[in-house]
Amino acid sequence: MSTPLTLATSRRPDGASVLTVTGEIDMSNAGTLDAALARSADDGPLIVDLSEVGYLDSAGLTVLFTHAPRIRLVANPVLAPVMIVSGLTAVTAVEGLGPDRDA
Amino acid sequence: MTRRDDAECGPVTAAETERHAEAETSAEAETSAEGEAPAEAETPAAVFDVADEIGRDLAAVDWRATPLGPPAGWPQSLRTAVSIVLSSRFSMWMAWGPELTFFCNAAYRRDTLGRKYPWALGRPASEVWAEIWDDIGPRIETVLAAGEATWDEALLLFLERSGYPEETYHTFSYSPLRDDDGTVVGMLCVVSEDTERVIGERRMATLRDLGSDPSVVRTEQEMLAFTCRQLGRNPQDLPFTLTYLFDDDGRARLAGAAGISAGHPAAPVALPPDDPDGVWPAAVPARGESVLVELDGAPFAVLPSGKWPEPPVQALVVPLLQQGGAPYGFLVAALNRYRPLDDGYRGFIELAAGHVATGIASARSYQAQQRRAEELAELDRAKTVFFSNISHEFRTPLTLIMGPVEELRGHLQGADAQVREELEVVHRNGLRLGKLVNTLLDFSRIEAGRMQARYEPVDLAAVTAELASVFRSAIDRAGLAFEVDCPPLAEPVYIDRGMWEKVVLNLLSNALKFTFDGAISVRLRARDGHAVVTVADTGIGVPAGEVPRLFERFHRIESARSRSNEGSGIGLALVRELVGLHGGTITADSVEGEGTTFTIRLPFGSDHLPADSLVPAGVAETASTPATAGPFVEEALRWLPGDGTAPEEVAAPGVSAGEHSPAAGDGVPARVLIADDNADMRDYLARLLRPAYRVTVVGDGRAALEAVRADPPDLVISDVMMPRLDGLQLVAALRADSRTSNVPVLLLSARAGQEASIEGLEAGADDYLVKPFSAAELLARVRANVELARMRNHHARWRNAMIESLQEAFFVTDENGAVIEINAAFTDILGYGPEGLPYTPLHPWWPDEDDDPQAHAMVADAFDQLVRDGRGSCVIPVTHRDGHQVWVAVTFNDVTDPDTGRRRVVGTFRDVTSEHYFVQRESALAALSMRVSQADNLDDALGGALEALREVWQARQVLAALWDDGSEPVVTSSGSGSGSGWPGLPESLREKLTALREHPPLRPLAYAAGGAGVTLEHPGGLLSVWVDLGQNRPFTTEDQTLLALLVGHLGQGLHRAHQLDQQREAAVALQRAILGPSQLPEGFAVRYEPATRPLEVGGDWYDIVPLSEERIGIVVGDCVGRGLEAAAVMGQLRSACRALLLQDAGPAQVLTALDRFAALVPGARCTTVFCGVLNTATGHIAYSSAGHPPGILAHPDGAIALLDGGRSTPLAVRPGNPRPEAGHTMPARSTLLLYTDGLVERRRRPLTEGIGRAGAVVQDGRSTPIEELATDVMTRLEPERGFNDDVALLLYRQPAPLEVAFPAESTQLAPVRTALRDWLNRCGLNPSMIQNVLVAAGEACANAIEHGHRDAPGRTVRLRAVATAGGLHLTVADSGRWKPPQPEASPHRGRGVALMRALMHKVTIDAGVTGTTVDMHVRIAR
Repeated sequence: MSTPLTLATSRRPDGASVLTVTGEIDMSNAGTLDAALARSADDGPLIVDLSEVGYLDSAGLTVLFTHAPRIRLVANPVLAPVMIVSGLTAVTAVEGLGPDRDA
Repeated sequence: MTRRDDAECGPVTAAETERHAEAETSAEAETSAEGEAPAEAETPAAVFDVADEIGRDLAAVDWRATPLGPPAGWPQSLRTAVSIVLSSRFSMWMAWGPELTFFCNAAYRRDTLGRKYPWALGRPASEVWAEIWDDIGPRIETVLAAGEATWDEALLLFLERSGYPEETYHTFSYSPLRDDDGTVVGMLCVVSEDTERVIGERRMATLRDLGSDPSVVRTEQEMLAFTCRQLGRNPQDLPFTLTYLFDDDGRARLAGAAGISAGHPAAPVALPPDDPDGVWPAAVPARGESVLVELDGAPFAVLPSGKWPEPPVQALVVPLLQQGGAPYGFLVAALNRYRPLDDGYRGFIELAAGHVATGIASARSYQAQQRRAEELAELDRAKTVFFSNISHEFRTPLTLIMGPVEELRGHLQGADAQVREELEVVHRNGLRLGKLVNTLLDFSRIEAGRMQARYEPVDLAAVTAELASVFRSAIDRAGLAFEVDCPPLAEPVYIDRGMWEKVVLNLLSNALKFTFDGAISVRLRARDGHAVVTVADTGIGVPAGEVPRLFERFHRIESARSRSNEGSGIGLALVRELVGLHGGTITADSVEGEGTTFTIRLPFGSDHLPADSLVPAGVAETASTPATAGPFVEEALRWLPGDGTAPEEVAAPGVSAGEHSPAAGDGVPARVLIADDNADMRDYLARLLRPAYRVTVVGDGRAALEAVRADPPDLVISDVMMPRLDGLQLVAALRADSRTSNVPVLLLSARAGQEASIEGLEAGADDYLVKPFSAAELLARVRANVELARMRNHHARWRNAMIESLQEAFFVTDENGAVIEINAAFTDILGYGPEGLPYTPLHPWWPDEDDDPQAHAMVADAFDQLVRDGRGSCVIPVTHRDGHQVWVAVTFNDVTDPDTGRRRVVGTFRDVTSEHYFVQRESALAALSMRVSQADNLDDALGGALEALREVWQARQVLAALWDDGSEPVVTSSGSGSGSGWPGLPESLREKLTALREHPPLRPLAYAAGGAGVTLEHPGGLLSVWVDLGQNRPFTTEDQTLLALLVGHLGQGLHRAHQLDQQREAAVALQRAILGPSQLPEGFAVRYEPATRPLEVGGDWYDIVPLSEERIGIVVGDCVGRGLEAAAVMGQLRSACRALLLQDAGPAQVLTALDRFAALVPGARCTTVFCGVLNTATGHIAYSSAGHPPGILAHPDGAIALLDGGRSTPLAVRPGNPRPEAGHTMPARSTLLLYTDGLVERRRRPLTEGIGRAGAVVQDGRSTPIEELATDVMTRLEPERGFNDDVALLLYRQPAPLEVAFPAESTQLAPVRTALRDWLNRCGLNPSMIQNVLVAAGEACANAIEHGHRDAPGRTVRLRAVATAGGLHLTVADSGRWKPPQPEASPHRGRGVALMRALMHKVTIDAGVTGTTVDMHVRIAR
């Protein structure tokens, strides 16, 4: 059984698509995230809200890198070191990393 | 019933012994009947080697009657000791048990026990050696009481082993013997008897002293006083002595006494001849015989006792022998009653008497010589007067000899050759004598002014040429050219023909004598109114300094070489006188090595001559052959070659050696060498001696010297004056060479007078004979000298025999330290024989400086002392010719050689190697015993013992093979080449060790190539021990004895060590059964160190009891006392405590219950306990302490807290009282130390100091892994000499490490993460660090799952996380292989590893064959 992961799609008042991810992302469920991102590929810019994600590993990062050009990320301070170290913050916009860390 | 009850006080006979044995056999039967079941599993024969006589006799002893009981019941130690004694060839005895029961071996029986054997076996030692028990008893007491060995060197003991109290000397050592428990229960004595040596040295000293100080020739009285003094200095061998000398009437007169007063009845002043009732039987020594006198008559009632407690009972009367005459007197020597009168003792007294006799002889001969010298002086004065007055009287008898001889020569033309030859000798020597007499007469005439000259005018050329021609044949025979150049002169010269003949002939004779090559010339010229005659030669010439003295009367020039040394030294003096009478002059020019020219100038005319002496020409007698020429020529011819220059054996055909001829040895005629430059004299002497001697003749001193050196004759007869080497020089040369110094020399010379004879005797000639001498006189002298020489040789042989018979090595060195004489014992000890003499320093027996610098230095020191001081004694190591080392005790003294006056050092030494090794043996035993006793276990004991053996022999290697039941023996070794086990040993060594198994135990087996083996009983089986000495060092008998002794002790020691091992093994098994869990929960480390070695148990304990998933009971306790007893108590308390904890009781409850339990267990009272229950999830610990030191808690920030709450009394002090309980929560990553007071307690230091120190160590180590920290604590807190109390300690760090194992599936990642997050929370980390660790660990796990196990999913991955105060350490291990990251090919693939490296401080990925391990470390900031 894969690590539990909840994906919810919504649209913000400004019309932007939002994919809200809740749980932990690791090798066992990174594929699920990838599929969800791929499905929403045609809808234009996408905000991926990871603020309720407690764990993100390199498998998850790889998915995010793949989709980086068309997504914006909302993260949380816990994920900040991983995102910064991996260079993800350099290729896509990330907010919610904590004081002075949003890219 | 026992043998002891009816034991006699003295030796019993063998028959008696047998009777005892029978009686005891029946006694034994009785015992059996009483049911005591004496059935000996082992017969005595099994203990004693019955192949050996001693063993048989020991087996026959009724041991049941001794305190030792039957041999079957003897302890191992006693058997071993007996085995060592019996197997040793070194003299030993031992005593064992309460009565010190006596054992000995064959060597001891032979050397010391004597008639006490076999009575002594099994007797109490005090009975065996009752007579010396006062001496040895206290020594034995010392050994038994103190356990220390004694050592006595050459101790005087009066043994009664031969039926009388005997003066004996022994060097011995008593060493303690221990039973199986190590208690001293007996003693071993290793002994060597020194009696012969001590007594021998004492006697030698007396003889040496008697022979000392020969420099002053004393009067007889002084000499007697001297000898009495020396004899008196040995009151042991000579309690008293009396010296009697025979008067001319045969009465014996007391001449000296030592050790007895003058007026004593046993020392009468005079003894009449042939008095049968005399105090001493003087008639016997008067016949030259010795007699033993029992001192039991009235005169001997009260005798001085010398050195001894009792007076002597016998005296030996020995003659003072005179060579070739009746004894001078006799010596009475009272005898040492404590020594037998054996050959040695008798010989000593005879030698002492010989010294006295020699002294008398030399004193008397000195007096005789003095008288003779005075007589000679008187004789010489008379002779001088006589000679000067009557020399002319010689002419008459000479004429009467020569005349008839001339006639006889004519008559006997046809006679046989020998007669004619002898007649020729008479004739020639008559002429020569006539010539000498004439010359002397001429002189006396000239001196007296009575020379009647008749000068006539002659044709000097013709006269001179005629005279010269007389010499032509002689000069031709000498191979020289002869030029006569005498042209006629214008006027005649006035000469006296007779005188002129003498002038010319003397000059020519002189020229021939000293010329060996070239020419002789005679020239005549007229110059300046003179007739000038020159006689020149190309001979040896004379040194410039001697030329002015050439014409001095009686002055003889010492020339290097001449045809003859005959000559009176007056020839040239006479020539000058004669020329002077002619009014002429003579001069000489000479260049050494080129020749001499004599120039005579005679004035022409007659004005210078007295007128009344002038006669007309032709008036004076003329003869075609000058009358005086004959003797000159005859003499000259005898100088020339033809005989006498090479040694000629003059045969003595048909003469048997029997007739009154002194024989040199066994019937062979004595050999005589004659050296004379006069052939007639040679022939004459040879003819005289030929019938009785084998005669060899040579012509000069050099040839004589060569002949003597080639083959020394029995006597040399030499003329004093000879060319090349004269008689005195010959004597000096012979005396200077030790090979020829003993050859007697008889000098012959025409030079009479005291000075000449003294000169000859001083040069070392044995006798001196003045010419002329009679044949009878010559024969008598020769015979006397040959006999004397033979006697002297006999004397020398005697001396040599005596020196050779010495047990001690004897040597003589010259002043430079070169050894010039040795005896057989010297060769025995060092291997160097007389053929190599002289041995010059550095002597070949010096130890090699490179191999053994210490030994070399010792010998060098001793040698310095010998050369510098000339006396001293020392013990030094020297090297035998075959290379082995010998220790010798050397004593040396300087003496002056009475013959040459040169300094000599005389020394003796004996081989003390065994004594040296004896001491070494004692220390070796001590070293071995120490090593074995200090060992903790059997293996240590063996290892230590091998090391000790190696040190004793400085061996290259010592190894032991233990033949236990295994297929291969277990090898233990010490020294080079250790540690490769049995397969690593050389094949040859394995064979030797294997072969040794067949060899009986404790009997060393030495191998020629530098090694020895021995076997012994090891508790684990047979043990073969091999001592490897290295290249060619021999393993001597002493070494074998020592090895047997040492391995015997080793065997005992190993058995003791084995017993200890067994005890210890039992104890360790017990300890393992009761001490702590073998599997500790994670996070704990424990240590236990008992104070009591070698046991490894004690009263301290720790315990860790898992109670539920998170709760763990922890206990540290300390029972009173040590060792096994405390351990037994501890085991009960620990079990009780554990049971109580498992009932889910709290710590206070547990201790309260334990109080009641401890009250029931003897020895449990006052035990201190710390009991806690730890919640590993929270770090909370509830605890209670029964008088135990507080726990120490080190916080991650370095702060220290003590768990010192919940305290109450130690166990069972107040049972029933409730106990308090305290609680404390361990902060994350803190470290808890529980311990017993042995860890922190120090004498005279407060406990708090120790606790503080322990706290500091934990504090320092709070980031050290827990197991490593436990070691640090023990190491850093250990006092210098180790813990002196038991120590138990327990360490725990919160939280315990996390250990997760999961299948390699990605679905496992989330639960692993949850467990890790939970643990990280317990570690008290901040969320960001937790997240970093989670990601890094997650990546490692993901990699393990993804890469490592893609082909075999589901295999196990292990995660382990350990926290310390300052950091975390994580390990993820799988059994697969990772692909190395290849970022270029696939950028995201390497992302995981990059993350790990970025998030952790240190990451190591170890991809091995069996799997990949990721090791990660992260520091925790404070």
